[in-house]
Amino acid sequence: MRWPRIRSLVLMLAIAVCAPMVRVSAQSVGTVTSADTLVDGSGLNDIWLHINARDWQDLHTNYQEGTYYPVDVEWQGVKIRNSGIRVRGNTTRNDHKPSFRIDFNRYVDGQDLFGLKALVLNNSWHDPSMLHDDLSMQTFRKMGIPAPRQAHVRLYVGAAHEYAGVYVISEEISKTFLTANFGEDNGYLYEFHRQDGDNYGFQEQPELGWYIPRFGPKTHETESVANLYTPVRNLVEAVNEARQDNLEDRLGDYFDVRTFITELAVQNFLAQTDGLVGGVGMNNFYLYRFAGKKLSMLIPWDQDNSFSRMDMPPSDNMGTNVLASKIWNEPKYRDAYLARLLDIADLVSSGWLEQEAAREYEQIRAAVYEDPLTPYSRDEFDQANAFVQQFARERGAVVRQYVASIAPQVLNAGRLSVESGAYRTRLNGTPQTQNLPRR
Amino acid sequence: MPARANTWTVVRLVTVVVVLAASLFAGALPASAQVKLTFDKHPAIDFGDVFTASVRVKSQNDWRAFPSEPESDQKNVFDPYRERIAVEGRILGRVLYHVEREFHDTSSPWKNIYLETRVLHGVHLQGGQFNMPFGLDQTTSLMDQDFNYHSLAGSFLAPGRGLGVMAYGDFFKKNLLAYEVGVFRQDGDNTRSAQLQDVHVAPAFAGRIVVKPFSKWQPLNFARSMETGFAFSDGELPAGLYSLKGQTIAGDAFVQKVYVNGRRQRLGAQLQWRPGSIGVQAEAMRVRDTRLGQGIEDEDLPNLVERAWYVSGTWLATGEHKKDTITPARPFLNGGYGAIELGARLERLSTGGGPALNPALYGPRSPDVFPTADLVWTTGVNWYLNKFFELSLNVIREDRTLPRTATLSSGPVWSRTFRVEFGL
Repeated sequence: MRWPRIRSLVLMLAIAVCAPMVRVSAQSVGTVTSADTLVDGSGLNDIWLHINARDWQDLHTNYQEGTYYPVDVEWQGVKIRNSGIRVRGNTTRNDHKPSFRIDFNRYVDGQDLFGLKALVLNNSWHDPSMLHDDLSMQTFRKMGIPAPRQAHVRLYVGAAHEYAGVYVISEEISKTFLTANFGEDNGYLYEFHRQDGDNYGFQEQPELGWYIPRFGPKTHETESVANLYTPVRNLVEAVNEARQDNLEDRLGDYFDVRTFITELAVQNFLAQTDGLVGGVGMNNFYLYRFAGKKLSMLIPWDQDNSFSRMDMPPSDNMGTNVLASKIWNEPKYRDAYLARLLDIADLVSSGWLEQEAAREYEQIRAAVYEDPLTPYSRDEFDQANAFVQQFARERGAVVRQYVASIAPQVLNAGRLSVESGAYRTRLNGTPQTQNLPRR
Repeated sequence: MPARANTWTVVRLVTVVVVLAASLFAGALPASAQVKLTFDKHPAIDFGDVFTASVRVKSQNDWRAFPSEPESDQKNVFDPYRERIAVEGRILGRVLYHVEREFHDTSSPWKNIYLETRVLHGVHLQGGQFNMPFGLDQTTSLMDQDFNYHSLAGSFLAPGRGLGVMAYGDFFKKNLLAYEVGVFRQDGDNTRSAQLQDVHVAPAFAGRIVVKPFSKWQPLNFARSMETGFAFSDGELPAGLYSLKGQTIAGDAFVQKVYVNGRRQRLGAQLQWRPGSIGVQAEAMRVRDTRLGQGIEDEDLPNLVERAWYVSGTWLATGEHKKDTITPARPFLNGGYGAIELGARLERLSTGGGPALNPALYGPRSPDVFPTADLVWTTGVNWYLNKFFELSLNVIREDRTLPRTATLSSGPVWSRTFRVEFGL
């Protein structure tokens, strides 16, 4: 007689424990059970923002402000109620077709969309092809660098289900991202905010106050300035003090040089002009310091300005950054960097990048043609995509020729001189090779 | 025009009237007219019946112990709560003026600034910036409060101070029936802080009647001081995140702001009874905000209703009669030890309603508003040293009903405040 009672009690307890979890997750009326199909780019998804007409108008009128407005977000029959939406972006911020950040936690603590606590909707304002950011992030990931997943969506708004154009949806670099990519989320994450007039490239800055506006904390936000920024300053000091011929000796505890070399190589292969060695100094990255360690790494963000020029030399602006400059000026590191460029050239020469560019173009073409808010004509969209595909087809040869011209020994040597995902080795103490590019 | 600019206009207007009147009448005074300087409770100067002016100083400084709230701003132990100076008087014996400035409020330093006069028997007119006639506790001078803080009802549901014109007076002898009715440029400053930058200006009306039903009834002598009143206000409410705020004793917001639009209507009832050295006071208020077109899909939402009430009692243990202003019969260091008053107040502020639902159903544009409440017990002792100085100690217990996800502490929390008050 007692066992049925105990079973009932256990069942009731289980329901009581699980109920709070269920009530704050996505209210699914469809069949989707994961956010992967939203952000993996396999299809063109529709996002419907249920938002008050006045709020939608205010979002545009006050687009320079970061004010949140309530919104219900619907995708594939899944509706996340009482989320918050605000305009985001720096140079892409505008009142015609603004970019947005959607925060599922804004008004309801603990709410998410199948694990995603926030989404970014980018307007691709500077990129008529709408592919630069996504293709760059895919390249980073293929080279073993954690980078946010992205995909295109058709955006619909309001009770009238009005079409608001094509957006690039992006995972946010947040605790969810950290957990998915590093298996931890309790380290220190900073978003880099370039300040007007800056041309920063790891130059020493002794005052902690200098770091405050530039490294916005995304975790541990309420900790003291000393706790937040002393380790960042220590990293910068180590970069500056490290001997060029043995960077690891001084820098090794703070930074994985090989991972940084890979990141530089991806950005310069893709002719990114606003990245780690862009024309205006470092930009568009997050800094993550692993929990309980000094070790940090850079996570790429907002790569709209890649695919800029087919003939951009991969050495452009290397001298503007203290660490990149040391790498470029030291033969063994320069050879490693050039070898990494060739790894990427091999990857791209397999046709992967061109096929992906073509697939995505076909996926979004009709939707972009109908986009009522795009700042570009159909011809500009088509031409920009044609260039992206041409870039994917021919850039490898351009880079190989460049490497051959300045370091033929690298071209002729057996490569794989830089291990992908090297930061993992440093982090875990064991080699992680699952992210090596297929050659 | 921003509210501050309008306040400045009133300040200038009243100042010009007072200075002009003082200059004109001082020059026109006959040589025989008496100029009299006095210092009874306030320093004052009288130019006969032509022009009078007196200076009043109000100072309240607090030492506070609030519960630690990790997610909220740290509160200083010492709080210079009020530092005010006021000049008031009469012009030609008929027009009363009042100008008051607060030194610790840099955002809106000008407080009560108005002119008033009697135009008919039983009809006074008052114009300028002053308390709207709603809420007994809110419209009681801060120096005459029984407790260190206004009630939650008075602080957050009553409209507070506004720019406008009001008629007031009383009928019948012994104030059997008193009335106040006014029209104001917009809702009062208690509810307007978030709207200071808003360009929408919507007129508001407010009125109150107070009756003393037993004032002329000899058989019920003990009840003659009893008065009861009813108040209302009604005003246009601009669309926006302008719902009423609600804060804990420490000043942390605990009521979620929601979008409103349409009209804001208040109803209030008050009771005051002061038999001898005992004082009893109670109020209840209900505020209804409409939310026309404020849903996610532009649909109308159910009205937002906020409620508050309090009941308080005081006892002057040293035997003085309970009045607005307490003057000790035997001042401290002057043959006595001042006046001692004990008091207690129970109050509650609540918003939203119904059973707590799925948290995902609550948002600023949701039909449902999470039921939140703060039930507060205040007990205190006031020591009136003389007619100028008062020391007050309050011990406050809050019992908060908050969403599970709120950053503030739920359940019972304790606060203590000690105040040194000086009035001239």
